[in-house]
Amino acid sequence: MKGKGFWENTWKHRAHVVMALPVFLVLFFIMYVPMAGLVMAFKNYDFTLGIWRSPWCGLDNFKFLIASKKIFVSMTKNTIMYYVIFTALGTFLNVVLAIAIDQCVFKKSTKVMQTIMIIPVFISYAAVQFIVYAFISTDTGILNNTFNMGVRFYTKKELWPTILTIVKMWNSVGYGSVLYMSVLAGIDTALYEAAEIDGANKWQQIWHITLPSLIPMITVMLLLSVGNIMRSDTGLFYQVTRNSGQLYDTTQVIDSYVLNAIFKNSNFGFTAATSFFQSVVGLLLMLFANGMVRKIEPENALF
Amino acid sequence: MAKKGNAADLAPSRKEKKGLGQYILAFFLLLYTLFCALPVLLVFISAFTDEKYITQHGFSFFPEKWSMAGMNAVLRYGKQLARSYAVTIGITVVGTLCGLLIMSMFAYSISRPDFRLSKFLSVYLLIPMLFNGGQLAGYIVFTSYYNLKDSYALLIFPLMVTTMNVIILRTYIVNSIPAELMEAAKIDGAGEYRTFFQITLPLLKPSLAAVGFMMATAYWNDWQNALMYITSDNKKPLQLLLVNIQKSIEFLLNNNNVPASVRAAMGGGIPQYSSTMATVIVVIGPIMIVYPFFQKYFIKGLTVGSVKG
Repeated sequence: MKGKGFWENTWKHRAHVVMALPVFLVLFFIMYVPMAGLVMAFKNYDFTLGIWRSPWCGLDNFKFLIASKKIFVSMTKNTIMYYVIFTALGTFLNVVLAIAIDQCVFKKSTKVMQTIMIIPVFISYAAVQFIVYAFISTDTGILNNTFNMGVRFYTKKELWPTILTIVKMWNSVGYGSVLYMSVLAGIDTALYEAAEIDGANKWQQIWHITLPSLIPMITVMLLLSVGNIMRSDTGLFYQVTRNSGQLYDTTQVIDSYVLNAIFKNSNFGFTAATSFFQSVVGLLLMLFANGMVRKIEPENALF
Repeated sequence: MAKKGNAADLAPSRKEKKGLGQYILAFFLLLYTLFCALPVLLVFISAFTDEKYITQHGFSFFPEKWSMAGMNAVLRYGKQLARSYAVTIGITVVGTLCGLLIMSMFAYSISRPDFRLSKFLSVYLLIPMLFNGGQLAGYIVFTSYYNLKDSYALLIFPLMVTTMNVIILRTYIVNSIPAELMEAAKIDGAGEYRTFFQITLPLLKPSLAAVGFMMATAYWNDWQNALMYITSDNKKPLQLLLVNIQKSIEFLLNNNNVPASVRAAMGGGIPQYSSTMATVIVVIGPIMIVYPFFQKYFIKGLTVGSVKG
């Protein structure tokens, strides 16, 4: 009997079951139980009744979502727009930086420089917002004082996609390039030597040897990131913008909207519907991305 | 990277020439390094800049007047600062150590050959990465159903287990620790627990260092859970001091922490800008100091984890 064998096997491995138990429980209470909370999207949530006893309301919350086009569309649009900018520019810069560091012959200084480049990723956005403020505040900001511009950055929403992109790149490129550098370190140096003998110059070597060897990693990283289109770096959009309402048109993303709703204790039906939308779309994209990775680079698929 | 260096030593190759191109490349790298470093440097300079200078001339890399007022104000947070430090260090240490222990036990279990339940456990581990309840559902479940509002548990547990970290640890166990070692221990009569704690765990060190450092940073930098769940002052971690800095400075200086004489010495005003930056230093400082020691580990850890076995 197959079933019996399974239980015997499990009993034999009871020590492993015990060792797996703590993570099992943490995941259960922290990740799995809140999944059930998504039913809120279909309920008329009432604080005093809780999630389960609140009355069902069918698809009302979603109707509300679609009716209030402006907020919902604008934050979904922002979420996707920032994903595209950050991913495209980020990947490009990661690769350029990795190749630059790899090509540089001053190994010792490069190492120090690399150490410094990674530092920004360890500074929380709660702290980053003050650094950004020091540069762009209206009266005391370095930019305004150096160039005598007098720009009120914190009220100019059209400038924020650029500002946030710069901050994000400052924060993540140094760290992001590490992964690509590790691939570069694995390239057989004999390839370069052979190319040199054949008369290829540096650019030709980069174009024909370095770049092609990075393509699989780039593909995998891009595809895996697709699953996170709907999620953003909340701190960037909530802290760095100082959560300023004037900027919402260009800076509000789904995650920061939900966070605001939690603090204001308001609009839970709408927020729950948004959350549900975010989770389901995220799941579909993740399945799609993994399917693609499995086709192209099976050993890098998540499942 | 080390391997490559050695190879270059043995056979001088393409890495030898120091032409003009190399200097241009190095120059651009230096520019980018400055782009990364200057904002951090500005924090340090501003923290020691005279407050009046900032209000009149703005933040500057070359202030003409220096002052310790900002730093002094921060040190006068006194009790609250010490308390917040204790909270942050506490959750970071407890969370990281517990997380590392339970995640490596889990990773070890699911990597045992012939353990049939491991298939189920792997799927169970993976699902949260694909699908989750989102912030709102989490918030309501944690506060209304677990009744954990304003408790340390909500600073510790939500960050304790991440699927990616378990995968990194499992990959390391599968690829870098010879299964024969574990077999041999078993033949010598070691039980499962002993095999894990005395053979596997010590060999897992490089991977633990990498994952541990990343976890510790996540704990140290977590402001979101604190902002959502923590209400009482004596449980406020450092990041929350930063988030509520305006309130913090006013509250702390109006509080009884500061003797009247000191307040008078500061001219009644609060050195807002410089003390904010001083607080930033206090909050990010420890990571800056510890990070270089862990750099080689997490670079290795990242590399290992990226290649799934």
